[in-house]
Amino acid sequence: MPRISRVMTPPHLASRRPSGLRRLVRPALIAGALAVLVAWSADQCKVSLAELAQGAVRGVEVLGFFFPPDWSAMSELLGPALITVLLAAVATPLGVALSLLFGLAAARNLAPAWLRTPARMLIGLERALPEIIILLLLVAALGVGPFPGVIALAIGSIGMLGKLLADAIEEIDARVLESVETVGATRWQVIRHAVIPEVLPSFLANAIFRFEVNIRASVLLGAVGAGGIGFELSKAMSLLEYERAMMAVLVTLALVFGAERISDALRRRVLDGGKLQ
Amino acid sequence: MLTVSALCKKLPDGRPILNNIEFTVRRGEFVGVLGASGAGKSLTLRCILGLTRVDCGRAVLATPDEDFDLTSARGRRLREARRRIGVIFQGFNLVKRLRVLDNVMIGRLGGISPWRSWLYGFTDAEAAEALEALRRVKMDHCAERITGTLSGGEMQRVAIARAIFQRPAMFMADEPIASLDPSNSIAIMKLLAPLARETPVLGVFHQPEMTARFCTRVIAIRQGRIVYDGDPNLSQRQLQDIYGEELDQVLRPAAVPIPSLPELAPAAIEAASAA
Repeated sequence: MPRISRVMTPPHLASRRPSGLRRLVRPALIAGALAVLVAWSADQCKVSLAELAQGAVRGVEVLGFFFPPDWSAMSELLGPALITVLLAAVATPLGVALSLLFGLAAARNLAPAWLRTPARMLIGLERALPEIIILLLLVAALGVGPFPGVIALAIGSIGMLGKLLADAIEEIDARVLESVETVGATRWQVIRHAVIPEVLPSFLANAIFRFEVNIRASVLLGAVGAGGIGFELSKAMSLLEYERAMMAVLVTLALVFGAERISDALRRRVLDGGKLQ
Repeated sequence: MLTVSALCKKLPDGRPILNNIEFTVRRGEFVGVLGASGAGKSLTLRCILGLTRVDCGRAVLATPDEDFDLTSARGRRLREARRRIGVIFQGFNLVKRLRVLDNVMIGRLGGISPWRSWLYGFTDAEAAEALEALRRVKMDHCAERITGTLSGGEMQRVAIARAIFQRPAMFMADEPIASLDPSNSIAIMKLLAPLARETPVLGVFHQPEMTARFCTRVIAIRQGRIVYDGDPNLSQRQLQDIYGEELDQVLRPAAVPIPSLPELAPAAIEAASAA
């Protein structure tokens, strides 16, 4: 019997393994190609170290304009800040309701193909479109103001919540759904008594998280025409009222930070409540 | 009464996996279906329930008010038929996040309209009756618990309570004790046997000693055909015919030899604890 003195690469694998320098050729080629690509992109974007250096000096100077923040503007900014929150507060439930329908329609184990395919396509299309583009399209139809913002955010929620819901539904054990069917339940009863109880906690947690995302998006949409604190910020900037702009930034920070804390706490409660003790 | 006649099922390539399955389950019977793995026991049950389409044959459930052909029924007619069969599955196919009582009440879904189940739910009288069903399987103390927190044996009792609450014309159990330990298995069989006196039970089982002890009749399937239908007490010879090679496993599932490990030398133990 031959003695095996050390672990060896099996011959059929050893022949595939390139040796020595050749092992470095491929990684080097890939790294080189990537470097060329990045350099070209930087040139196209007019990235310039000299300008960065100049800009930095100017930046420090400009930063001075922002201080001190204009505290007296705070009371005027609270109204627009409220609009920003309300915009998200209306858009989120609307988006949740739409996502519920889309999610059910897109789940492989519930919906027939004629319904599922268009639902999946719409969800996918929606995810590919940033909210800001939806808003710009809506503004053309509905004019400037918070209302197109609400619609844009509601539609924007479908891409994320609808997809997550459809995935969660597809993960439900098929035998559970089948077992509810065998008592003679209709599909809608299976949804009411098996699907919804199984996915509700995670869906609610996602919806709360989406509320937080929507507040941030609502600030951004405000700047392009939906009103609220984002609009105040962009207005102050274009009027060169930097101290007022700084105040708007501070209010935004407080808003987003607060929303994040509240959303975190709520989500923890929802998920703990749904957990199997 | 259930009458299955000339049931057959083929694979897509034309190979038969169920062949001319015929039997009848009457009032007062507890019929156990035995057979090796892959013989077609569970498939037979699925075909009778309309969960798998058959290629030929019929399964007719006769109830006092109506007769249902389960193999050809579709849509509303199939739901009407399923309402009359209480199914107890092998796994624990309950909705894990619902309370135990809610899972039992699912048994009555076939009898209420979808509008009611969305807008109102179940009545107090139905809840009381569901609790009664739980009492029957000695699980009423767990009615408020979340189903996912129960043990396997407990979940199987809840599944039986759900089937009882359904008030079916017949019970069908797909390997109801396959994943339970011996004492839980006997407890479940002791629940099913008295049920069978009121409402016939058709169950798929793996353990011939269980069917011999509790069933009133045994049907054996081998390679998609019925090879035995009669007295639940089977001889060694008959079991050999049913199970073939698998017989040893079936009779002594616990007797898998545990490989004896060579004893560790004291030096090796010291070396291991030092490391």
